[in-house]
Amino acid sequence: MSQSSTRSPSRAFVQRLVDEHALAVGVGGTAVVLLLVLYVPVGVVFSEAFGVDGAPSVARFAAVFTDDFYVGDLAGVLASPLAFDAHAAAIAGFVGGFGVRVATLGPIPYPAPVLPSVDTGLFGFTAWQALLSTVASVLVGLPAAYVLATFEFRGRKTLRSITILPFVLPGILVAAGFFAAFGESGLLNDVLGVVGLHQSLLETNPLFVVVLAHAFYNAPLVARVTTGAWESVDARMVETARSLGAPRRRAFRDVVVPQLLPAVMAGALLTYVFTFMTFPIVLALGGLQLATVEVWVYNAAQNLDVPTAATLAVMETAISLALTYAYLRYEAGRSGLGSAGVDVDRERFLPDLSALDAKRVAVLAYGAFAAVLFLAPLVALLAESVTDGTGFTLDNYAFLVQRQATGAAFQTKPLDAIANSLVFATATLLVAVPMGVVVAVVSSGRGRTRTVVDALTMLPVAVSGIVFGVGLLTGLVFGIDLPGPYTLKVTGVVAVVAAHAVAAYPFVVRNVKPQLAAVDRSLVESARALGATRVRALLDVQLPLVWPGVLAGGAFAFAISMGEFDSTVILATQSSTATMPVAVERYLGRTLGPAMAMGSVLLVVTAASFVAVDRLGGYLGGFDR
Amino acid sequence: MTALTLDDVSVTYGSTTALDSVSLSVRDGEFFTLVGPSGCGKTTTLRTIAGFERPSAGRVRFGDRDVTGLPPEDRDVGVVFQNYALFPHMTVGENVAYGLNFADPPGGVADRERVAELLDLVDLSGFADRDPESLSGGQQQRVALARALAPGPEVLLLDEPMSALDARLREHLRRQVKRVQRELDITTVYVTHDQEEALAVSDRLAVVNDGRIEQVGTPEQVYREPATRFVAGFVGENNLLDGTFAGVDADGTVRVRANDVELAVAGGVAGRESGHGAPTSLAVGDHVTVSVRPAALDPDEGANRLELAVTDTAFLGERVRVDGDWRGTRVVAHLADRPASDTVELGFAPENARIVAVGD
Amino acid sequence: MRRRRFLQAAGSASALGLAGCLVQDEGSTSTEPTTDDATTSDDGATSTTSETTTEATADLAGTVRVATYESFLNAPSESYDAPGKFVKERFEEQYPEATVEYTVPSNGLNEYIQRRKRGASVDADVYVGLNVDDLVRIDENLGDKRLFEGLDRGRMERASHVRDELEFGDPKGRALAYDTGYISLVYDERDVDAPETLDDLTTSPYKSKLLAQTAQGTDTGQAFLLWTIAEKGADGYLDYWRDLLDNDVKVLGSWWDSYSAYLDDQRPMVVSYSTDQVYANRDGQNMAKHQVGFPNDQGYANPEGMGVIQGSDEVDLAYAFMDFVLRGDVQQTIALSNVQFPAVTDEHVDLPAAFSDYAYRPEDPVSLGYDELKGNLSGWVEDWSRLVASN
Repeated sequence: MSQSSTRSPSRAFVQRLVDEHALAVGVGGTAVVLLLVLYVPVGVVFSEAFGVDGAPSVARFAAVFTDDFYVGDLAGVLASPLAFDAHAAAIAGFVGGFGVRVATLGPIPYPAPVLPSVDTGLFGFTAWQALLSTVASVLVGLPAAYVLATFEFRGRKTLRSITILPFVLPGILVAAGFFAAFGESGLLNDVLGVVGLHQSLLETNPLFVVVLAHAFYNAPLVARVTTGAWESVDARMVETARSLGAPRRRAFRDVVVPQLLPAVMAGALLTYVFTFMTFPIVLALGGLQLATVEVWVYNAAQNLDVPTAATLAVMETAISLALTYAYLRYEAGRSGLGSAGVDVDRERFLPDLSALDAKRVAVLAYGAFAAVLFLAPLVALLAESVTDGTGFTLDNYAFLVQRQATGAAFQTKPLDAIANSLVFATATLLVAVPMGVVVAVVSSGRGRTRTVVDALTMLPVAVSGIVFGVGLLTGLVFGIDLPGPYTLKVTGVVAVVAAHAVAAYPFVVRNVKPQLAAVDRSLVESARALGATRVRALLDVQLPLVWPGVLAGGAFAFAISMGEFDSTVILATQSSTATMPVAVERYLGRTLGPAMAMGSVLLVVTAASFVAVDRLGGYLGGFDR
Repeated sequence: MTALTLDDVSVTYGSTTALDSVSLSVRDGEFFTLVGPSGCGKTTTLRTIAGFERPSAGRVRFGDRDVTGLPPEDRDVGVVFQNYALFPHMTVGENVAYGLNFADPPGGVADRERVAELLDLVDLSGFADRDPESLSGGQQQRVALARALAPGPEVLLLDEPMSALDARLREHLRRQVKRVQRELDITTVYVTHDQEEALAVSDRLAVVNDGRIEQVGTPEQVYREPATRFVAGFVGENNLLDGTFAGVDADGTVRVRANDVELAVAGGVAGRESGHGAPTSLAVGDHVTVSVRPAALDPDEGANRLELAVTDTAFLGERVRVDGDWRGTRVVAHLADRPASDTVELGFAPENARIVAVGD
Repeated sequence: MRRRRFLQAAGSASALGLAGCLVQDEGSTSTEPTTDDATTSDDGATSTTSETTTEATADLAGTVRVATYESFLNAPSESYDAPGKFVKERFEEQYPEATVEYTVPSNGLNEYIQRRKRGASVDADVYVGLNVDDLVRIDENLGDKRLFEGLDRGRMERASHVRDELEFGDPKGRALAYDTGYISLVYDERDVDAPETLDDLTTSPYKSKLLAQTAQGTDTGQAFLLWTIAEKGADGYLDYWRDLLDNDVKVLGSWWDSYSAYLDDQRPMVVSYSTDQVYANRDGQNMAKHQVGFPNDQGYANPEGMGVIQGSDEVDLAYAFMDFVLRGDVQQTIALSNVQFPAVTDEHVDLPAAFSDYAYRPEDPVSLGYDELKGNLSGWVEDWSRLVASN
């Protein structure tokens, strides 16, 4: 009975060699990239937090914990830990200091966040605005996911592809867009003015505007992550529940909600971590009065006070990783709920006017709100690029053309920037997706140790962008001394792609891993028993089944590379390696126009490439959603 | 010839032991079944044979080939799972052909022919282009079987393949599996928790309990001569009567005292199958357990009379099942008629009773 | 066609050591052909002789690596390109054997400070874009190590042209100003009156009117803070800011943030540059919205300087480059494209009316020098930031 398990021997030998070692190579490669571009540079900076004058010490942390500027009324608690009565009051005051009241904009009520009345310190305020931003992002993002996942309408696929567009926009563009859209003389007031309303939200409630801006960035993230999960909700389970007599709403609550929650929580977690470390946008719209911890990290880094920057950044990272760990414990407790790769039946949104029911009216109302929040800043941006103080002009685009035609070698040219962005983003996609998949595969399984490892894979999102930048500069660009006569230096295009991939791969992991966990183990085992190596089983069976997750992760990877600014500037020092966001920043003179023109180019090119990536990915995976 | 051997195989997960020093040998072309309650380790045994689990000790051999360290893809096994595990993104034909990516079909035929051949074998000719999801459960399981067999594996492993199907379909499919197995003469290891099924299909079977093999034998041996109290209780229905050793007659009949009644047992003593000699090591007063099949209890049998208080009766067609209480011990009997009163006196022949446990 | 021939003439002439005079003429005429009279400035006349003497001993062949900030190279400006291109072209015309190579450290001067601290190479000869606080930060971080040479001003013909008030007060004499801005208030006269004094800003007419910038890392924000420190003293500035904060001053993240907010009418007054009207004029904006206010008749002078990186092996070219930057036509170009004031005194530079009619200098420029900032700056900024952020 025994027989050869090979096909043509020589080709098969090579193939087997590749098959057997591909996973090891993937793991090794991922480890090397992470080590070089993340762990070592960031570790070197972080280590400065744990020493005073060369001796190991936690004094810097103690100083932060007992400084009421940082921790507000909790400082007393940490300074004299045994005075329990006073502490109970401090903690109660701290927690009770936050709130939301109802304010009105003309006749329209809106929830206005209240600045804490007691001193909650920099950390308290940072946590509070992140929480508000997370709630807002989920509230804005979920209906979008619902619409995209359950209705069929013209342009749905395109809309779905460009959902995460706001995610890539440089802060300067978003701030400018928000001023132009929601400022005193912005688009919204032009419209509201017609009906006799006028809002001054930036003046009356800057925190609300900051929260809105955070929702502008992060609601698309929540929507994209949740849409994928919603599409893979097993329709049969809903039908089963309804056949058992559950009313539609009840079936939704009992069947759909539990399957969506992990994705919603994942989106919420990422939003919280991002907004906890928000930096330029909060200063641009809210000002220093709404400063967050990251602002102080930046300040310390600018003053070359690396130990202080590191101390605060370590604390940010610790908080982010703790939340990530908590989320992962929760996720582990519920995995296996969703099933991958099920076809989705969508309702036509509006086959005819008679179909307009309460649900659809609500969707339309949401659509109008979303259009204001998302489109107004983008439209304002485009408008700024074709106007000057006097009216319509194409001068700003003429500048782009002229810079392209006559720019000096040391200047940044628009087409080069477009090409670089696309090349970097594509390369990032090609590196980050395998990295993320490998990490998702290797870190799958249960147990606390795995969860800790899994939480650590989120490190790139949990590390302060400023500290990451300092690490890259002082580590990779200046060089790290190795034993012997060697110095480790990593710069140039490869380093940029590596840094982008490191920033992007956690998104691949978070999108792929839950879906991978939902794929029945016996499918892989069947493939392996039939002769497939682990890698072949992954490629032939698992990946096709979790392709929507891979695609979503890939789209995020592409987007993150497109929007990345800091590490690009630090690692790619020549003007010829500038990307679109870098070009936007560089074209910022004393007038906004040319930068806005470049920003508009960025917007259009990015949107087009998102659509292309999604379509191509869907085609490759045999999915057409 | 031995097709498959496990030598002292143990599998542990952390501090729990799933398999404890299991040794087995399966003969070439044999239909061998692992049967036991859920969680007993039978599936772990199968997964260890397939290579999905790494033993913490012991060796696994296919013929003379030590496969202990080999990954599943290098073992030449075909596996069929309870949930079919068909690849949902491939057609039936692509599913069956999948293994041919990694091995030439036996007999030197083309891949396409091999697929047709196997679909034919499982009575699914013409289904090659269908999506697995459009098939019924039984059809899906046959596709899974065809897929597992396509590359011509050395060993076929079936993990509870019928348990998701309804009773009639199960019966039908069981016969089909058996026919295919005979036709291909392929060494097969079958895992089930259903002892009736195990008795029906196996050439030989192993009863697994708590990570250990309790008994290996033909269905007849296991049924008639259970080696342990567990086997006696698990395979077929059995009455287990606890008592104490009271002596041995000259003809080898063992005397057991249970519930103050002396019983004569001549069906053998588990573990001492060569000659019916009484265990010389037993001393009067040692605890023993006697097993008697419900069908062996007969109102007309003169030996070993037991007086039962009837607690329940059930008409089963060819017989009546009677549940009763004999001096505090639950006893089940299969009788021809319903007992007339709520007590009934039954006897059993000494040769129909067997000592299945000694001690405790 | 005429211009082309002229360029060729200039090229050959410079080889003869007559470059200073001829290029000065060429530069002025080509940039601003309508102001031919500018060529008669004494700059060209005096430079001829001295440059001949410098060149006799100096090695002016090779590549000079000029480190600067991005907008010096890339920032567009309505009708003027960023100065970088002009400077490179003209310098290489004057010194045909020299090449200018620009480099932009990704983290600004901080990158060089960090490099020097860790013993990594600093690949530049000249740095363009130094502020006084940079010198303070260098010394606070590097101690005995040095990043910039003390300048030998005798090697630069035009060093003496620089205005006296733009001295950095650096005891080591490392920086030489090449342009300056004056931080002032820009306001919309339709909404507010010009504040007479800084104290006016804390009064009710100015409640919720002012947009400022953080002093953490923005030039204008830091300048405005230092202005208040210069006026109120290190002991009094926080009290003044408490009053400002009570009067609802808004402190945004960058000059751009606050200026965008200003343009969008969020508030009618912003801390900005005294050259604001130059833009407004170019763009044809309503001047009512671009009034420049000098409370106390003051404005904070924020000179930008240049220096020679210590360890440069092109010191001669580095000095030649800095001297070149002070040349009349180069000063004019930098002023126009950066919309900053030239560093040299009026007789050494000619500015078109479009600039000089709309750019205002305060009567009484204020600034804190090196000695005042040293040891104090980061503490002042941190205390101020905490005050604002806790508010």
